[in-house]
Amino acid sequence: MFLFLHRWIWHDPGRRARKLFDFAETEADGGRALVRAAELTQDRTLRRLYMLHAADESRHADLFRTRGTALRRALPAGVSAPFQLNWVSPGERGLDDLRVQAESDASLLAFLHLSEKSAAGHFATYVDALKRDPLTRAVFQEVLKDETFHMNYTLAQLARVAPKRHRLVLWRARLGRLWKAYLRVMSAIAAVMGTVILTLQYFILLPPFALLAKRAERREPQGWTPVSPERERPLESQY
Amino acid sequence: MRILGVSAHYHDAAAALIVDGLPVAAVQEERLSRRKNDAAFPLAAIEWCLEQAGLEPGDLDAVVFYERPMLKFDRILTCALRAFPQSWRSFPHAMKNTLAEKLWVRGIISSQLGVPRQKVLFTEHHRSHAAAAFLTAPVRDAAILTADGVGEWATLTVGKGTRGPDRTAITLLREIRFPHSLGMLYSTFTAFLGFAVNEGEYKVMGLASYGRPTMTDAVRKIISPTRDGAFRLNLDYFDFHTTAKRSFSARFIDLFGPPRDPLDPIDLETADGRRYADCAASVQLVLEDILVETARSLHSETGLPDLCLGGGVALNGVANHRILRESGFERIFVPPAPGDAGCALGAALYADRIHFSNPDREFPDHPFWGPGVEEGVLARLAREDHLPVEELDEPGLIARVAQDLAQGRIVGWMEGALELGPRALGHRSILAGPHTIQMRDRLNRDIKHREEFRPFAPVVPIEAAERFFELPPGGSRLARFMSGVFPVRPEWREKLAAITHVDGTARVQALERDMAPRLYALLEAYGRLSGIPILLNTSFNLAGEPIVNRTVEGYLTFRRSGIDVLVAGCTRVTKRVSGEGT
Repeated sequence: MFLFLHRWIWHDPGRRARKLFDFAETEADGGRALVRAAELTQDRTLRRLYMLHAADESRHADLFRTRGTALRRALPAGVSAPFQLNWVSPGERGLDDLRVQAESDASLLAFLHLSEKSAAGHFATYVDALKRDPLTRAVFQEVLKDETFHMNYTLAQLARVAPKRHRLVLWRARLGRLWKAYLRVMSAIAAVMGTVILTLQYFILLPPFALLAKRAERREPQGWTPVSPERERPLESQY
Repeated sequence: MRILGVSAHYHDAAAALIVDGLPVAAVQEERLSRRKNDAAFPLAAIEWCLEQAGLEPGDLDAVVFYERPMLKFDRILTCALRAFPQSWRSFPHAMKNTLAEKLWVRGIISSQLGVPRQKVLFTEHHRSHAAAAFLTAPVRDAAILTADGVGEWATLTVGKGTRGPDRTAITLLREIRFPHSLGMLYSTFTAFLGFAVNEGEYKVMGLASYGRPTMTDAVRKIISPTRDGAFRLNLDYFDFHTTAKRSFSARFIDLFGPPRDPLDPIDLETADGRRYADCAASVQLVLEDILVETARSLHSETGLPDLCLGGGVALNGVANHRILRESGFERIFVPPAPGDAGCALGAALYADRIHFSNPDREFPDHPFWGPGVEEGVLARLAREDHLPVEELDEPGLIARVAQDLAQGRIVGWMEGALELGPRALGHRSILAGPHTIQMRDRLNRDIKHREEFRPFAPVVPIEAAERFFELPPGGSRLARFMSGVFPVRPEWREKLAAITHVDGTARVQALERDMAPRLYALLEAYGRLSGIPILLNTSFNLAGEPIVNRTVEGYLTFRRSGIDVLVAGCTRVTKRVSGEGT
């Protein structure tokens, strides 16, 4: 059933192109975060591996971008996909909600491992869903190979840097991801609630003030406004 | 007195610390967080500034925020009311954005730093710009012009400043208020041309040189002069005042044609590509005309020979050159960070000189207020990766690097303290020979990964600048912090192909020996080898990343780009030739 949904999502070439561009951005961001991790770690092996990983992410970004451009060029003029459905078919989540500098080597490796594992799962689904577009499918297959390497090296390095507690660190990272997912959902709900309440206030409370503001605007002179010395307020004032 | 200036929450957050009237440290948050244009509250920058001075937050006499949050909120709310009911979509977004954090700056500063609330002060946004421009310039009296997108209400101000042992004053005479804004006009075209606002304005300026100003009449339809010599935007053509989603309206599209999709490359061979370039050329010309006219009238009014320019619009080097040439001012001073990052320094200086009435101090005339290069780090990192390392004395290093450059190598150059502001002025630079188109293309392709129409800048010893570039009187001052675009002398254009833009100009940095002695020595040495003491100087970063700060950041940028040689302090590292070693 999910495969059917993914097939439908990836069926539209405009949306396919746009999604590949989005994925390219995420991969590029992920690459930058990995470079940051390489800058921060004191572990020489990890630095080297993070740089390799970052180079892979950068290459993935290029692959996605190139394929997206080719798909886009083949579209008739003016065609665009109305919505992306990225929450159903996400790219690699990257490290966007992770403060790399706040993480230890072990916790970062655990996070990366889980993130790569999850992305590999998504990409494997897209490979299946893209049977009718062998070129885009080949891009995902190529990326998937690297994801497997990323999953493996992060797990192996985690076992090296935290030999006695790597399972615990992994579980913590799983719980951390769950907590972040919960926060994302709650933030989204809060944002919707906030938007509804503020929109209601906008239409219920604001109209009389809007009328006054529009009248005041009409009286405003055009051009220069003199800055009178009296207008200078003390620096303690926020107004 | 110990005063900390802070700018944040819009773009380019920064912190600056002054002690007894002189700057001790200033850095943009993006250089520490490694997130380009980081607008978050600059806690890392503040911590670094305090650490640099050996201070605790409790030692501060004042913390000055660069604008007045309530006044800004007043503008946001008023504009939403004025645009009723079209603003119904943007209103919830604007309110959530402001009420969540931006309105509570006093509380945030007080709680984050643990300083009493009464020590938190606020300057007006454009006074911060004015202070950053005037109080850092080596002048006693000057006219002041600030222009940007918007602060609280003001978008452009004119005034004058005076400095002396007894009294320092900045008097703003008049202002143009939101939504009428030169910065917003330019940003609207930036968005229309498919570039990121607050980031792609340079690209519009670069693209303008490829076009012809065939649409100035159309641009003048959307920005027209008022009777008192100011200007107003025709808001029918804009949407930035009603929605955060798009800055131009359907009428704007009727006038200028369909906007460029950011995913489409600009191909100047196509009709659309030429239209984009013509749009850029037209808005650039109109912006220049308005700025020149405003500056000319300010010059007549004040009779002062010097002008201090501040605000993001002061980053427009082409306009700055025209102001210098045509407004009547003899000298123009643009600080190295005229945008919001520099406001952190401006706010602190304003509080020191004007609020606390402390005596004026001569301001060091350089941009190097950030973290320094750590000794020994580059050698350690490179040895760990089995790369060839040389630790040289200074004359040896200069000779070696000059030779590298003469042999066509690209050099990452890290020296001393990091620059404040968007430009690499010799301490975190990528340097290369300026002679060939191939070098420009190689830099664009292998390192900067950017559009081919964007030019690279040259750095030249100040004494040699006029030999190669047509600098008007006062031009070398404008070129001190790379703030002006000047013609390359025709006889040198072929030999300076990598830094000569399509219209025969270059954004010159005229370097004084005292400002960056090692780079100056390198220019001399390169001049002895090549006959031309000029280097291509571009910021040390890759696309989408801020300029490098620490040595490890420079090293990893070197490793993943086409840079051939990296120099940090007196250490020189090269890449292994392929097949060499493991």
